[in-house]
Amino acid sequence: MSDKGYITTAWLVLSLALLFGAALAGVEMLVADRIAANKLQETLSQVSVLVPGADEGKAYELEGQVFYQALAGGERIGWVIPAAATGFADKVEILIGVDAEVSTITGLYVLAQKETPGLGDRIREDAWRAQFKGKSTDSPIAVTKVAKPGPFEIRAVTGATISSKTVANLVNATIASVREPLQSAGE
Amino acid sequence: MHYFIELILIGITAALIKNFVLYYFVGICPFLGVSRKIDTAFGMGMAVTFVITIASFLSWTFTTFILRPGAPFTAWIWGMINPGSEVVVDLSILSYIIYIFVIASSVQFVEMYVRKFFPPLYKQFGVFLPLITTNCAILFACLEIMKHVSGVPDATRWGLPEALVLAIGGGLGFTIAISIMAGIREELDMCDVPEALKGPGIALLVAGILALAFMGFTGVDRGLASLFS
Amino acid sequence: MATDGPTPLERFISGILPENPVYRQLLGMCPTLAVTNGMQAAMTMAGATTFVLVMANLITSLIRNLLKPHLRILVFTLTIATFVTIADRFLAAYLYQMSKQLGPYIPLIIVNCIIISRCEICASKQGPFTAIADALGMGLGFTVALASIATIREVLGSGTWFGLRVLPEMWPDWVLMVLPPGAFLTLGLLLGTVNWLSSIKARKAKG
Repeated sequence: MSDKGYITTAWLVLSLALLFGAALAGVEMLVADRIAANKLQETLSQVSVLVPGADEGKAYELEGQVFYQALAGGERIGWVIPAAATGFADKVEILIGVDAEVSTITGLYVLAQKETPGLGDRIREDAWRAQFKGKSTDSPIAVTKVAKPGPFEIRAVTGATISSKTVANLVNATIASVREPLQSAGE
Repeated sequence: MHYFIELILIGITAALIKNFVLYYFVGICPFLGVSRKIDTAFGMGMAVTFVITIASFLSWTFTTFILRPGAPFTAWIWGMINPGSEVVVDLSILSYIIYIFVIASSVQFVEMYVRKFFPPLYKQFGVFLPLITTNCAILFACLEIMKHVSGVPDATRWGLPEALVLAIGGGLGFTIAISIMAGIREELDMCDVPEALKGPGIALLVAGILALAFMGFTGVDRGLASLFS
Repeated sequence: MATDGPTPLERFISGILPENPVYRQLLGMCPTLAVTNGMQAAMTMAGATTFVLVMANLITSLIRNLLKPHLRILVFTLTIATFVTIADRFLAAYLYQMSKQLGPYIPLIIVNCIIISRCEICASKQGPFTAIADALGMGLGFTVALASIATIREVLGSGTWFGLRVLPEMWPDWVLMVLPPGAFLTLGLLLGTVNWLSSIKARKAKG
């Protein structure tokens, strides 16, 4: 092989790199907005479910943390709070819906989890999540195994006490820490 | 929680609880291919641990300073070209390409360095080094680090210690898994395995039972965390 | 395989069963084990891999006469990494939930040995038409392999197929099958079955 072969190869690599660079830039321009919208949409689409009556969600930054305001006709009627903790197997990410005074929980949604399929991952089920709805935030929520839980109690998923406790404790801790700032942000 | 304990937990998680091979299924090719003898398996494991650490160090550096949205070095360059621009430059689309080149070049570099300065070491596991470029465990470690560096709030962004602990923990976890596997396969050679299952078939079944055993580590991290907090 | 190589059709067919990348060549094991706990994830993965395989084979085949041996692997890697990034971005844009579920396994296509071995063995020596046929055949073979494992794991593990209920509600989900050990056990047994069937066939052929 002569030197000429090397020069051809060098040109080849260079032009390929340019070509691929252009292709990547094109793809990025085409889909970047859509990807960003997807990420936001996942949370915002839950706002109207988590805070009944809300018709619009809007990001709200407070002390470096992102919350979502639930708006109804432009007026704030509640908050959606993202939170995360380590469950049985991996990180559990949830959204908590509360009313504007942070006095009642209006809904709970599991964004991401990798708990044991068939056991821990039943925290995603509507029936289990619905237990949180309407709970007052005056007292922390406890996890119980009895059939008829009290006013500040929820029933654990059978065989997945740890996953259930993770969610309940996460709700308690999150509400305790954001109640004050969110209430004052309302004024 | 104490920062040091957090580091230990990252390491234990990567090595045992979420073992790279038995939980994430990365590095299966060498796990099945180079697990016939304990010596070679251990050599392979050590070589992977070595390269994974270097590649993770480099990819952490690249991600933190150049690739992630709002990275300081990129922002500085951008500021030089477009003074006063408010745009946050995000080069993360180039991440995969950069990582694979970082891995390929660190493998090359390690090979040259070891051959030149540690000939006995090279004799032991030099043969594995070229194979490592296409070992998914290395790229996987880079991607895990990227997940904790790129696009996360400043408070939870991983620093270099976390990245290195993950890399070393993951590498050791790989070594543990491949060495146990080699030990079992050495014994299997003396067993009467059905003809059809000989080779990779029985190895996969053994790996399944190993994965089952490693599932027993689930929750250890949470237990340790609550012990220390 | 130089000038008078196999026809595109032959290459296409050989990828599906006779040279199946998973069962015959034991390549690309990571995604085979990692994403087969459900059909949807497995098929998305197979689609993305086939796309990258076809594009990488096409590019390699087009530039095969200009390539120097020592730069070959570098160029292959560059090509593969670019197309994986493109696939990754498109998945994030149009199949967001799926891309979240597959997570790191989409970028890990870069180090999927099937692709680099096809570039090396076939595409760097054949014309673009044959190379594409080969890539499609191998991609289809990979898809068949993923589908077979994912079907067993999803049906036994969750009683569903493509997310639709196929087993009666009273079926107690065999959770182990969708967990990591189930992947190893299923693939090990399937591999044994394939070997057993082909040994029967070989014996019959001998008489």
